Amino acid sequence: MPDDGLLRDMLLIRTFERHLMARKDHGFQLFSSGEEAVSVGLCAALLPDDQLLCSGRSIGPALARGLEPGLVLSELLGKVTGPCLGRGGRGHLAQPAQGFFGAHAVVGGNLTIAAGVALAFQSEGRSDIVSCMFGDGACGAGALHETLNIAALWRLPLLLVCNNNQYSVSTSRADALAPDKLSDLAAPFGITGVTVDGMDVHAVREAAISLAKEVRSGKGPAFLECVSYRFTPHSTSARESRPREEVEAIRMHCPIDRLSAQMIASGHLDQSRFDGMQREADERVSIAFAFTDAAGFPDPSGVLDHVG
Amino acid sequence: MQHNPRMLLLGQDIGAFGGSYREFEGLYDMYGADRVRDMPVAEAAMVGMGVGAAAAGVRSLVSITYMDFLILALDPLVNYAAKLRYKTAGQLHAPIVVKTTAGAKGQGVAHSQCIESWLMSVPGLKVVAPSNAADAYGLLKSALREEGPVLYIDHKRLFPTAGYVPHTENFIPFGAAHHVRQGEHVSLVSYSYMMSPTLQAADQLEALGITCDVIDLRSLAPLDIGTICTSVRKTRALVTIEEGQLTCGVGAEIAFRVREQVNDIRVRRIGALAAPVSSNPVLEAASIPDADQIVAAVKTMINEEIS
Repeated sequence: MPDDGLLRDMLLIRTFERHLMARKDHGFQLFSSGEEAVSVGLCAALLPDDQLLCSGRSIGPALARGLEPGLVLSELLGKVTGPCLGRGGRGHLAQPAQGFFGAHAVVGGNLTIAAGVALAFQSEGRSDIVSCMFGDGACGAGALHETLNIAALWRLPLLLVCNNNQYSVSTSRADALAPDKLSDLAAPFGITGVTVDGMDVHAVREAAISLAKEVRSGKGPAFLECVSYRFTPHSTSARESRPREEVEAIRMHCPIDRLSAQMIASGHLDQSRFDGMQREADERVSIAFAFTDAAGFPDPSGVLDHVG
Repeated sequence: MQHNPRMLLLGQDIGAFGGSYREFEGLYDMYGADRVRDMPVAEAAMVGMGVGAAAAGVRSLVSITYMDFLILALDPLVNYAAKLRYKTAGQLHAPIVVKTTAGAKGQGVAHSQCIESWLMSVPGLKVVAPSNAADAYGLLKSALREEGPVLYIDHKRLFPTAGYVPHTENFIPFGAAHHVRQGEHVSLVSYSYMMSPTLQAADQLEALGITCDVIDLRSLAPLDIGTICTSVRKTRALVTIEEGQLTCGVGAEIAFRVREQVNDIRVRRIGALAAPVSSNPVLEAASIPDADQIVAAVKTMINEEIS
C-alpha cells in the first residue's frame, strides 16, 4: 500500500521524539511532532541524488529523508556514532551522502546555501534538485528575498518549502508577516507558489511531487507553503506561549490520526495492523536508543580536529 | 579557472565591466557569463551562494566590492563556511575565496574600513592581505588551492601600483611572513598598503642612523609569530603598523603573542584614530597612519631607551 510508507515514516518521527522527550538527558532540542506530514510529504517527492537542507528543526526532515534513527539520535545526544561525530547536534545534523546536506540553526541561514548547492547542480549539468525547508520565521528575513530573486533569474533547481507552523518562538505569524499567504512571496519573482494544508500528508506529497517535477524540468524554482501546527513549545528550553485551549485544539489536527482514519475508512488499515506498525516504530526507536546509549562522547583531545 | 573548469566567479560588476577596480578584466571574455556571473546587490546571497556551491563541490571566488559591505555577508562566511568542516566532521568543506577591498581612498565612512582584525579570530577562516603584485598573485594562487574559506583583502590604493609578477606559477604559503628588510634597532611589522609608509619610514630612519627590521605579514590568519619573535629577539623593540582600529587590532594581537615568548621588549602600536574615516581629504589623512607618524614613534621609542 503506498500510504503505508507515509504512515510508517510519520509514526517513526512521533515515536522517536516521544522517547527522546521522556529522557532526562535530551538536551536542547526542537521537535517536529505535529509537523510530520510536511517532512514526510516532501521527502516522498525527492529522489536519492537530490539534496535536502533544513532549519534547526531537523529531526522530522532527517528521519523522513531516511537517515538511520540510531545515527540521528547519536548526533542529537553528542555521541561519536553520529554522522558528524556528535559535533553538529540537532542544529547542524548532516549526512550529505544520504541526500541530507544538513540543518543550519540560523533562521533563514540555509536559504542562500541551498541556492548555491542548486547553482552547483545546474553548472554541473545535473538533473537533481535541491530542497530547502524553513519556518515562517525565515519569511521576514532578507535572505529569502535575495534567494527568490536570484533563483528566479537563474532558473535554479530549487524547491523552497516553508513549514509555516505559525509561530516564531512566541511571535505569531500574523504579528510578524504582512502577506496574506506566505506563498504569495513567490509571485513577484514569477515563481510558482502553492499553499497546502501541512497536516494533510497527501496534500503535501501531491503538491511537492508536482512542484518537484516542474523544478526538475528546468523551469526554475518553486515555493511550497505548508500550514502546520507544532504540538510542543518552540524548543525544550522555551516556555509555552500559546493558551492551553489553543494547544489542545491544535492536537485535534494530528496528521497521523488523519491519515490512519482515512486508511481505515477506505479499508486499507485496521486497528491491529496500525498497532503492529506502532510496535515496529517502538522497536526501531528502542534499537536506536540502545545503539546510542552504548556509544561514547568524543574524546576532548579531538576538539581541534577538522577546524581549518 | 583554466586549471579548474568548474570554478565560478560571482559578484557585482565583475562581468563585462571587469570589476570596480578592473581587477577581473578579461575573465568574462575568456570564460563567459556562465562562469563569471554578475549578481544583484545582495551581498549575503553572493557569499551564501558561493559557499553553497563550494560545499557542493564547485569552487568559487566571490567578489565583495568594499570590505564595509562584507558585514552584510558575514552570516554565511562566519556561521556557515568557517564552521562547515568542523560541524560535519569533514563530510563537507567550503573551498571559497571571498575577495574584497579595504582601506581609505577618499570614499568615506562606509567605503574605507579595515575590519580584518574582526575576522582573524574566527576558527576555520583564513585571512590574507598582500602588499605588492607578486604577493597578490602568489597568495591568490594558494587561496584557490585551500580546502576552506579564505578572506583575501586587496587595498584600493594598491591597484594602480606596478610590480613584478613571475611568469611561472608561484604559490606563497599562508602563515609565512616576508622578512623584507634587515636592521638592528627596531622591528617594524605591517601588511597590505601600510607597508608603503612603513618602508618610507624605514628609509627616513636609516638616514638618521636607525636601522629597521621590516616584516610584511602577508597572512593574518594564520599569523607567523615565529618570524616576528626572531626579529624582536634581535632588536628588542617592536612597532606594529595597521590602517584599522587599534582596539582588539592586529597590533594588539601581535604584541601580546610576542610578549608571551620574548621578555623585556618595548612595544608600540600605530593605527587609525578611534574615529570613522571621512571622505574629507583633511580628515581622512588625519585619521590614518603615515610615514612621519611611524618615524616619530620609533624616534620616541629609541630616545626613551637612551634617556
